[in-house]
Amino acid sequence: MEVVNKYNEPELVLLLRQRNMSAYTYLYENYAGALRSVIFNIVNEEELANDVLQEVFIKIWKQIDTYDNLKGRLFTWMLNISRNASIDTVRSKSFQNNRQNRELTEDVYTAAGSSQINTDVMGLRKVVHQLKEEYRVLVDLSYFQGYTQDEIAKALGIPLGTVKTRLRTALIQLRDIIKP
Amino acid sequence: MDIQAYIESGVIESYVLGMADSQEAAELEQLSRQHPEIRKAIDAFELALEKTALANAMPPPAHVKEQLFASLDGDFRQDTKMAVGAKTFSFTRYMAAASLILLLGSAALNVYFYTQFRASSTAYQALLIEKSTLLSENQNTQTRILDMYGSMQMMSDPTVAKVSMPGVKGKENSLATVFWDTKSKDVYLLTNKLPEAGPGKQYQLWAIVDGKPVDAGVIGACAGLCKMKNIPKASLFAITLEKTGGSPTPTLDQMYVAGKAG
Repeated sequence: MEVVNKYNEPELVLLLRQRNMSAYTYLYENYAGALRSVIFNIVNEEELANDVLQEVFIKIWKQIDTYDNLKGRLFTWMLNISRNASIDTVRSKSFQNNRQNRELTEDVYTAAGSSQINTDVMGLRKVVHQLKEEYRVLVDLSYFQGYTQDEIAKALGIPLGTVKTRLRTALIQLRDIIKP
Repeated sequence: MDIQAYIESGVIESYVLGMADSQEAAELEQLSRQHPEIRKAIDAFELALEKTALANAMPPPAHVKEQLFASLDGDFRQDTKMAVGAKTFSFTRYMAAASLILLLGSAALNVYFYTQFRASSTAYQALLIEKSTLLSENQNTQTRILDMYGSMQMMSDPTVAKVSMPGVKGKENSLATVFWDTKSKDVYLLTNKLPEAGPGKQYQLWAIVDGKPVDAGVIGACAGLCKMKNIPKASLFAITLEKTGGSPTPTLDQMYVAGKAG
């Protein structure tokens, strides 16, 4: 989806803070698809992704006053809300019913790897999929599943320093892939 | 510190993606304020990320939007469009406002300058008139001075005889003087003191030649000396008050002054 520059970003933020409906509609039309793709990459279920997307847009609506344009772009802020909401959902009660005391175990490789072919080829994961396996796993665990580097180091039995270094290298490679 | 190495460390990407811890985030925010190249790198990655996400979008089904907008229905402000229209920065709108102000200012200045121009023009015309009035007055004065100079020359000429004519009985306050050029026989009159002639009346100079009065001319409105008729011979000069234009013979009871010639 191509962004139609109907508003520049400061204008859009100002209008959203004034509870302007057409600005909000514009925001939804332009960004719902991009955010839903990231949400889907994390929750892995279409219907659940729709619920989270709705929740995210309500949060954007209610928390637009907390957005600080000095810290970054509006999309970055919305993307982080989406990621956090998605990870929270995955870890929520309904999920706990299925996976009591969800812990990072040896099955991370199956969780992050080849068993999720359908989500690998969609959205941002499609880009991550271009990374080497050892990098892809780290990005998947930390970005899409929200594990801390400490948790990852323990689970994978790799020193924390190595996790840190590899993850940073993975992110630089990601940057170079998406660089225009 | 090595800024380039910092930019290439992956910490920027980690921060933008929300994966940096609070210490790393605080450090990056601090450094980005000090180093524009770090800010630039952050902006570039954010923009690339946004473009990638938009390019990999998965548009939601229509019912999601319907549900969302239904749940927010009461929260939209109906009148924001108007309020926002006034507040939104619009370059062309500012330009239009600025142009209008300039136009009005220019129009006001035009009126002001035109008024000034009209006032100056009027004042200039008045000055021109005053100048020409002064010039002609000056010319009159010069002419009078020249006339008076000529009169003085004439009066002081030894060939010119001065005939003083005092007031006759009953008109003792009156006085007039005749200057008679004995060579050219030209007669000039100076009315030193004569009452106002009155309407329809005019003073007339007479020369008494061989006991008979000869008309020497009526006295007009001349300044200083009045040139009268040429009188070759006279024993006496006198002035009477006659009707305007003069009379063929003098009205003797209306005689004011008289003086013996020679």
